Formats: sequence, C-alpha cells, structure tokens
Amino acid sequence: MADESILTDDFIRQLIDVGEVDILVGVPTHNDAKTVEPAIRAIQAGIVKTFPRERAVIINADGGSSDGTPDVIMGASIDDLHRSFNGYTLRTLHAISTRYANSPSSATALRTILAAAELLRARACTVICPESDNIEAEGVANLLRPVYRDHFDFVAPIYRRHKFEGVLLSNLLYPMTRALFGQRIREPYASEFAFSGRLASQFLSQNKWSEESQDYDPELGLTISALSDGCRVCQAFLGTRPPIKRQSRDLVHAMRQTVGVLFSSLESTFQVWSSKTASQPVPTLGPEFDVSTDPMRINRKQLKEMFSAGVLDLESVLRSILSSSTLAELQQIAVLPEDEFRFHPELWVKAVYEFAASYYKSVMSRDHILQALVPLYRGRMFTFLVENRTSSAAEVGNNIENLCLEFERLKPYLLELWNGRK
Amino acid sequence: MPQSSDALWYKNAVFYQVHVRAFYDSTGDGVGDFQGLAQKLDYLRDLGVNAIWLMPFFPSPLRDDGYDIADYRSVHPLYGTLQDFKNFLNAAHERQLRVIVEMVLNHTSDQHAWFQESRSSRDNPRRDWYVWSDSDTPYRTARIIFIDTEMSNWAWDPISKSYYWHRFFSHQPDLNYDNPAVREEMWDIMKFWLDIGVDGFRLDAVPYLIEREGTSCENLPETHIVIKELRARLDSEYPGRMLLAEANQWPADLRPYFGNGDEFHMAFHFPLMPRMFMGLKLEDRKPITEILKQTPEIPPSCQWGLFLRNHDELTLEMVTDMERDYMYDSYAHDKTMRLNLGIRRRLAPLLEHDRRRIELMNGMLMSLPGTPILYYGDEIGMGDNVNLGDRNGVRTPMQWNGGWNGGFSNADPESLYSPLLQNPVYGYQAVNVLSQKRSEHSLLSWMQHVIRLRRSTPLFGSGSIEFLYPKNHRVLAYVREQGDQAILIVNNLSNSAQAVELDLRRYKGKILIEMFGGNLFPRIGDIPYLLTLGPYQFYWFKLRRI
Repeated sequence: MADESILTDDFIRQLIDVGEVDILVGVPTHNDAKTVEPAIRAIQAGIVKTFPRERAVIINADGGSSDGTPDVIMGASIDDLHRSFNGYTLRTLHAISTRYANSPSSATALRTILAAAELLRARACTVICPESDNIEAEGVANLLRPVYRDHFDFVAPIYRRHKFEGVLLSNLLYPMTRALFGQRIREPYASEFAFSGRLASQFLSQNKWSEESQDYDPELGLTISALSDGCRVCQAFLGTRPPIKRQSRDLVHAMRQTVGVLFSSLESTFQVWSSKTASQPVPTLGPEFDVSTDPMRINRKQLKEMFSAGVLDLESVLRSILSSSTLAELQQIAVLPEDEFRFHPELWVKAVYEFAASYYKSVMSRDHILQALVPLYRGRMFTFLVENRTSSAAEVGNNIENLCLEFERLKPYLLELWNGRK
Repeated sequence: MPQSSDALWYKNAVFYQVHVRAFYDSTGDGVGDFQGLAQKLDYLRDLGVNAIWLMPFFPSPLRDDGYDIADYRSVHPLYGTLQDFKNFLNAAHERQLRVIVEMVLNHTSDQHAWFQESRSSRDNPRRDWYVWSDSDTPYRTARIIFIDTEMSNWAWDPISKSYYWHRFFSHQPDLNYDNPAVREEMWDIMKFWLDIGVDGFRLDAVPYLIEREGTSCENLPETHIVIKELRARLDSEYPGRMLLAEANQWPADLRPYFGNGDEFHMAFHFPLMPRMFMGLKLEDRKPITEILKQTPEIPPSCQWGLFLRNHDELTLEMVTDMERDYMYDSYAHDKTMRLNLGIRRRLAPLLEHDRRRIELMNGMLMSLPGTPILYYGDEIGMGDNVNLGDRNGVRTPMQWNGGWNGGFSNADPESLYSPLLQNPVYGYQAVNVLSQKRSEHSLLSWMQHVIRLRRSTPLFGSGSIEFLYPKNHRVLAYVREQGDQAILIVNNLSNSAQAVELDLRRYKGKILIEMFGGNLFPRIGDIPYLLTLGPYQFYWFKLRRI
C-alpha cells in the first residue's frame, strides 16, 4: 500500500462516506469551470445509462482552481438527467472533491485518484479530461465497460485525429511501445483512459512518486505498467480528441513527459520487453484507426532548418549518444536541400534506439539526451509531413504501420545496444 | 369488544397475519381450524402482537386459497363452525387481541350462488350482480394482473353464452358495484361479522370495484364513492372498528383511499416493501428515502400498513422495470421463485437465513411510520417451498416443535393440507417455536423484545419522521418525534462496518439512551455526532434531556 499522506483528512472523511464502489471516475482539474460541466454531464449520463445499479463515485482532484471548478462539479445535479431522458440510478451517485495542492500536477492528481480507487476498492476506474466538451455518455461507458464487465485491466482511448496531429505519438511512442511490449496500443499517452482497481493498486505501489516525479505526467507510465505487468489491455474509440489545454507547446517539455517516461521505464521492464519478439493487435471497441485528412497549414521549412542546425550544433553531444554510422548518416542528410531531404524509417528507428540505450547508460545528463533528440524528431516530422502531404487516411495508416514494422524489425539492434555489444 | 375504547387503536397496534388453515389443527384432519387457533392465542399474546388479521375462512372451492368465496356468512367446514369462530373471537378479545377479517369485495367464486343465478339466465334478478358483455372488447385499457395465468379480463361463460369480467382468476367473476343491490348486500355481510364482534376488515382488491370505458378500471372516482358509503355506515353504526385497504398502487394513487379521513383507516404501503429489500441489497438508503419522499401526508386518523412479507408473492408491480430486474436478479435468480410480477418467497430465505439482516429489516418495519404487520412464521424464520405451486410455498403449516408434523397436527403427514418444510435449514426440526422459546437469544425472543419496544411508546405509531441525510448513504437515519419525545433510529444497510456522522445539533444537550440495552451514549454537542455500526447493525436511541 502506498503512502496516502497526500490525502487530506477531509477527503478521507468523504471517502468514508462513499465507501466501497464499483465504478470510480476521476476528473483532474485546474481552472476548468468553463468547460468541465459537459464532461460531468457525460460522466453522469454514462453511469446512469450503463451502470445504473452499480456503486459509483465521481472524484474531482483539483490543483488549486481559482474559478470555482469544484463547485461546478459538485453542483451538477443528477436530477437533471432524470428530467432530460428519464435516467436514474438505483443507488446514490456520489461526487466528491479534494484540493490536493495549490498548483496543478497531473502526477499528484492521478496519485490522488489511484489512492482513492484503492481505498474504495473500486473495480473499474476511469480518468476523464475536464476539457472533453465532446465526450459523450457512450464514450465514458466504452472506457469503463471493458474493465467492469470483461475484466480488462487497462483501456486506452482511440481518438479521431488529423493525420498530422500527434506526430510524436505516431512516429515514436506508439511504434516503440508496440515493438517493445508486443501490444498495439495506439494512444499509450492519453489524458483519458480506464483501469482496474488491481492495476491502480499495482501502479500506486510501484511508482515511487518522488518529489521530482511530480513534474512528469504519469499517464504513459500507467500504460507501460499495464503492458509490462501482463495486464489484459484493450482500446476504446472515443471520437474526436479533446483539445488539451495543458499540452505544452514546448517540444522539450513534451519530450520529457513522454519519451523521457518511456526511456526511463525500459530499465525496470527489461525482462519483459527483451523477451517479446512480435506484436499483437489488442481488442478494440470501435474503429482501430480514424484520421481526418482536411487541409492543414504547417511550416515544414522551419522543421528542416531546425533539424539541420541541431545536427550541426549538437555534434559533440550526438557523438556521445549515437553510433558513428548513424551520426554520419544524419550529417549527410542534414545538408541536403529540402526537396531531397528524407529521414527514412530505418535511420529514425536506429537513432531512437541509440538514444534509448544511451539514456539507459546515462552517457551524459539524461535530460540533455532528451533535449538532443528534439532536433532529430523535427527532421523526422518534416519527412512524415512531406510523405503524407497528399495521402489518404489509408495511406497514412500504411505508412505508420510500416514504421511500426521497422521498429519491430530493428528491436534486436536495441537489445544489442542495451547489452553493450554495440 | 376488547380493551380500551381508543378509536385509533390500529395506529399503535402490531398486527399478525395468519391463515387459520396453517396455524394449528385441533381435530387431526390435517387442516388448521378455529379451535386450534384459539389454543394458540397465548402464543400470540406472548409474542406481543395485539391484533390478528385473519385470511379468508369462508366456504370456498379454495381455488385461490379462500379468496374465491362461495358464501360470505359462514365458516368453511374444514376450519370449524361459526360457533368455533365466535369462541375464538371471544378468547382473542379476552387476551386484548383485536381481530380483523378478510373481506373480498371485488369478486366471488364462480361457485357462489349469486353467480350461479346470474349466469342461469339473462333475465335472472341477479344477472346484474356481475359484469356481463356480449363481446370481450370493453375495458381493453385495463391491465391483466395475473399475467402468468390469464390472457384476458373477460371469460366466456358457455351457460349464459356471454362474457363476464374478472380482474383476477377467471373463476373469480367481479361483482357489479354499479348495482345498488350489490352494495347493499355487501354491507349487510359486513354488518353480519361486525355484529359478531370483529374489529375490522381487510378489504381485498379495492381499486377494481368499478369499471369505466377508456380507463385503467382502477382507482376510479366511483370506487371511492362506494368506499365512502361503507365507511360512513361503519362509523355511524360501529365506531371503533376499522377498514384496511389492499390497494397495490403508487403512493399518490393510494392517498385518495384515505380521503379526508372518511375512507380507509389504513392502507398497505406496497411500494415501500420491495424498496426495503432493494435498499438492503444495494446497501444504499436511496430507494427507501425516495419512495418515502414521494409518500404524501395522510389524515391524522389514518395509518400506513407496513409489512415485509405476506401470503402473496413479494409484489414488484410498484417498481420500475429496472428495479424489477434488479430485484429478480438479487432475490429470485432461480426463475421458479418468480410468480406474476413478484417473488414467492418468505422473509428468512430472501435474506439468506442471515439473522442480522432479518433483525435489521424487522427493526425498520417496527420503526418506520406505520403499523407493522407480521406474517405468521416469520417471527421464527420459517422458510418456503418453491416446489409447491402458485403461492402455496409460503403458506405451509406453522412449525410449533420438532416432533410429529412439527406440532401442527396429529394427522398422518400425507393428509396435511400442505407438506411441512423438512429441509435441514428451514425444516420443522431446525426452525420451530418450542426450540426458540427455550433460548433468550433466538429470533423469536428477539422479536418479542423488538415488539415490546415498539409498543412501549405511541411515538412509533403516531409520531412524525424526519430523515437525516448523513453523507454515508449506506446509513438510513431518521428521528421519530411526538410532543417532547424523540427517538433516533440509525440503520446500517451494508454488509460492512460503517462510520457515520450525524447532524444532531437540533438536539444539542440531549443524551442518547440505546433502547435495546438501555445504555447511555455521549451527549450531543455542536460537532457532528460520530457513530460506528457493525454490518447490518442498527440503533434505536431515545433522546433525553436530563
């Protein structure tokens, strides 16, 4: 059992009043008063429609809102649902709220929700983004149902995205977690997901929740924990992805939050991922892949320039991280004109794997390693945008699939690096 | 007439529902009788009840356990004679036990002489005593109640070559209450029993007395006119007697049956009963508080009749489809336990023989606003037999001891009106009055205790109720108050220990006295009053300022 000292006495008192639950919905918030109400309505409707018999609670973990967000959540009466579609629950539907700190931290928010899940012995839990103004009752139910009814431990979302949205996800996070852990979770890093009480307890006790880890988003860590601990995982389609306010425009920060978490997890999960040789699709509720191809203006030129400048400026750093052949190839393409430039999948995968191994071996400050990956990612992004400029949804899907296969094909290379043979 | 002249005696009574057939056989023919029932009156007095509700004991073909009456002015020969009944009634009154009897107003048996005359010819003077039609199309909007057995509310009579109306079994034709002669005759029958000395009637199936086209044929204004007429006559000629309504309806539809205190004295609160079971299974007070919130105020002279189980199935007519599905899944997973829209099981098996839950449910029965009505055998935790047809599984012989036929009868077991329960859990060897009388910790002894507490103050029968809504929804807490008396009741509906904080500031300065043990609890202060309760535990506290 993890240390629950983050829970206030008042919150403990509220948990006592709620008691054991079947369904727990966590809503981490910070100044979301303007957007949170539709999400709460969707949650309530999802529970009323799909789990009217179950013991359910909505838990708001608030990071010090000054706009009355918790009041909005607590004031959302379920009686309105009865008026709108004659829905009701047999039991009391609880809503409780706690202010865990005066500043937002998704790690502390999730930890609060996990601790509550453990204390309330929740069977199925989900976290819903307070900015999900387009989430519907069915989406909430889709997340919870596989855990509650079909005994899955983790449900990742699948969103309808624009083909150029989430490039880091499609070019690194998804293919690499897939290659390593053998399960095809398309959105391993998401702000909406569901998990079992068992996984909540497991993650709560495994994660050190150190002070510095409060700066990292733990969602990817939860996914990796599910994948590496033999949990039953699946995916559920939730529709269009909500705009995430807290998503940083700072790529370095995003790299730390995602790739940093992935790289750092590899050490403790080595026994698991090193033994996986292929990937398998996971059960999916709804379409497995859904992209829109509407025209979108992106300044590609700047990406290429930043890649080239980075490779040149960071040569000494990259020399410590990358193999000489990989660095040489990067230097070759860095000087190519834009219309000839192509950061091909094999080179990208090799570079990523070499970064992962260097991160593991701490050849330098791990944070510097992550920062050095940023210009390379920009180069890969440039290529992805160019290659898929006129692609249909299916073609984009094929390209991502080919990249995934490359990650899987080159996995032995990562193992060799990891074991020090390269 | 026994006891005090308190005209509102029914408000502070504890009723015991019994079928004479099932209680005690004094003649050795395998069927209970009035002489036998009279012999067991001391048992009922010692149990602490002070009113008996007798199920139908009139001559009948017994195709619906006596609810198909063939003669309203006599006693079925199986149960004895009219004189036996009078002797029983006197003996009950000597013990301060009131007796109300069943009166089936809505319909008769098709074997009743009235129906035989009515069907014999269209010109017969009794033709209009029943509801006839040349087609089966009128009143199509009326629901069918016994959906498991009846396809229509009309039945074809080959003798008179027309259809007759029946809301229940087809062998129970409905009387025509639009006919003044019928109303007059039924009042004469009631007078017959009132003159003998009965203390009141439980009127069966009252919502269905009148039919009107385009309606549900339930709860019609004309039905209330009939009832008001009966009540006025009763008050005028037999003050102090009472009428109890069987009207399985939603609270808002039930309310009119009290009128302005000029219709029924009491009516069963049907929707509350399944919700008590639901609340217990859900471990949530919501179903109970919600239905009581919807329950309208009734005139001061009126009273709700509360019950956990009775001779019928645990009716699920007054619940939503979702609630019904939940109840079936929770209490009647085995489909043989289901009948019509209900569950044909007794209290103890429904609660899985769990003494804590049985006590909790009885504790709520005794402390919620209304008059509690116990079903025979439930005070010792008798079981049921779902292998017997219809509702007969909850109508097996009373289990008096572990000897021959459970002490019910000296007859050969094969000749009993119903087989006794013999299984290891609920059989008469395991569950019987004699063995429970020997132990002060038995369910029977506990029931005596709780009934004594219930009757120790009129507050339970007449006091107001205010629900407390502690944040812990597994706890149902309420304060009953009358004058300067107040009793706090706290029930843990869950299978696990619970902590609960109660806002009792209104009673600041009072101390709590736990009623079952008489122990003191801390004085109420400004801060929330913290209580902990074990699984299914409950407290009754007197709030005293000393």
